[in-house]
Amino acid sequence: MSKYLDLELLEIHNLLKNGKITPTDLVLEAFERVEEKKELNCFVTLDKEGALQRAKELEKEEIKGITYGIPIAIKDNIITKNLRTTASSKMLENFIPIYDADVVRKVKEAQMIVIGKTNMDEFAMGSSTQTSYFGPTKNPWNQNLVPGGSSGGSATVVSSRIVPLALGTDTGGSIRQPSSFCGIVGLKPTYGRVSRYGVIAFASSLDQVGPMTRTVYENAVVLNSICGKSDLDLTSVETKEDFTRLIGKDIHGMKLAIPKFYISDAIDSEIRENLQKVVSFLEKQGCTISYVDIDYIEQAVTLYQIIAMGEASSNLARYDGIRYGYRYENPKDMNDLYVKSRRFGFGDEVKRRIMVGSYLLSGENATTYYNKALEIRNEMKNSFQNVFREYDLIIGPTATTKAYSLGKDLDDAVKSFMDDILTIPVNMAGLPGMNLPIGFSNDHLPIGMQIIGNHFEEAKIYQLASFIEKELHLNLNPNEGDTNV
Amino acid sequence: MIDKLSEEEVLHTAELARIEISKEELSSYQIKLKKLLDDVDKIKEIKLPNSDDVNENEKLIAPWSRDCVLRSDQEGGMLDPKEVLLNVPKKSGNYIEVPVVINE
Repeated sequence: MSKYLDLELLEIHNLLKNGKITPTDLVLEAFERVEEKKELNCFVTLDKEGALQRAKELEKEEIKGITYGIPIAIKDNIITKNLRTTASSKMLENFIPIYDADVVRKVKEAQMIVIGKTNMDEFAMGSSTQTSYFGPTKNPWNQNLVPGGSSGGSATVVSSRIVPLALGTDTGGSIRQPSSFCGIVGLKPTYGRVSRYGVIAFASSLDQVGPMTRTVYENAVVLNSICGKSDLDLTSVETKEDFTRLIGKDIHGMKLAIPKFYISDAIDSEIRENLQKVVSFLEKQGCTISYVDIDYIEQAVTLYQIIAMGEASSNLARYDGIRYGYRYENPKDMNDLYVKSRRFGFGDEVKRRIMVGSYLLSGENATTYYNKALEIRNEMKNSFQNVFREYDLIIGPTATTKAYSLGKDLDDAVKSFMDDILTIPVNMAGLPGMNLPIGFSNDHLPIGMQIIGNHFEEAKIYQLASFIEKELHLNLNPNEGDTNV
Repeated sequence: MIDKLSEEEVLHTAELARIEISKEELSSYQIKLKKLLDDVDKIKEIKLPNSDDVNENEKLIAPWSRDCVLRSDQEGGMLDPKEVLLNVPKKSGNYIEVPVVINE
């Protein structure tokens, strides 16, 4: 079996440019790897025929850039023309989109090849990829463990080296937390940096699409391709820039803040130890590190529950069994069609969240819960802004734990929210945040740190991340065992 | 503290959400929804920054949004009705079929 897909993007690009390999070779290799890693259950739908056809077309096209001919996997809540998109729900089991999401159009324009749709928590509701209608995805470092979620399929395909690149979505940590559990680089961009047109909505004021990759540089390259304003998403902003431009630049003098809450006892001690090693290294490199307070950060989960479930109940009202999606067969009337299509089309976690969301927005509750949450959200955002007046970046852990066992707490209605306690504040304030792998636990599971930037300062995140990545030089390929620990 | 919702409360919530609940599911929802609602109730204990009165402080609905912009009044791309109807579960010609609305 060829090993081209283990090479770095630049090396693959040079081979393609010099005619040593073709996009078809890469697609065939990716599908060999899909077969080999079948037991991980990372894909909901594959498109070998479409990918091979696209590879052939590309072979007649001029090479436009570094992403030419590179296979990419797309999370299954991002719609793809003529390619089934389910959001891992029975509700959309047979849904074939008739157009591409903006980000999909952009990856195609950048000559990447979509090979399939990755598994996820149903409608992105969960942090372990276990609420999928199509069964759980397994962690490539240990198949008895979860890959995290909700973008667990995307994290797994990149981590297990099936493809170098994937797209995920992040509403409360759904890119960063699985990236942490699987040992890859995952970025949630600034809210508005990337168009959400064609992304199946969960909580519209929090959702954002982002790149999931093996390295920092590759992450920046994908963001270069997918960012920018769209007339079909009024929250998107025109911001063309080269996100790789600060990679490799010196970090001397950088001012970094760590929220005190991010190093509390609630965080697994191995994670804190690994973070501390990075902090010491950064201080030696001339960075200053301070410990700061961010208002209401401890209450972020409560805010998230109210805002995300409220928005979800409204967004998911569109699944009525009439225009698309699952339809109950023999309803007695219109109302029966709604309530039964939704009863049998949605899974448990989704139904719980819609019900609680509907309740929170009904009557007087809207003031007690939703309006109050929005006011606290505003204070939290201001508090972040105050920190960024003095500091370049905020750092801390991404997750409170390393990857945990499949099946653990699956039935606990509250637990999955707690997984995201360190990532949610970033979505609340609309900031960019990255997971960067920084080491391993004693049982050789990846540990990640989070780097949070001010609005539209992803380039600075990449600068710091690339510096740490180079220093640590970790072997993050789970297929290679303990060779470089 | 009561550790579960009443059957009526669950059925009311399900009605708001337009989701049917079976008799068998009811008891599990009584416990699980109560647990979630207890968790979100923590917001009642959070002190607001300026005024105790909700609606007196500035709200953040989304990090930001652009002013409403209307596109120019020009004919854009059109979808083929066949495409539009592609995912409709039940159709008749170019129409979407629905059951009776008033069943009395």
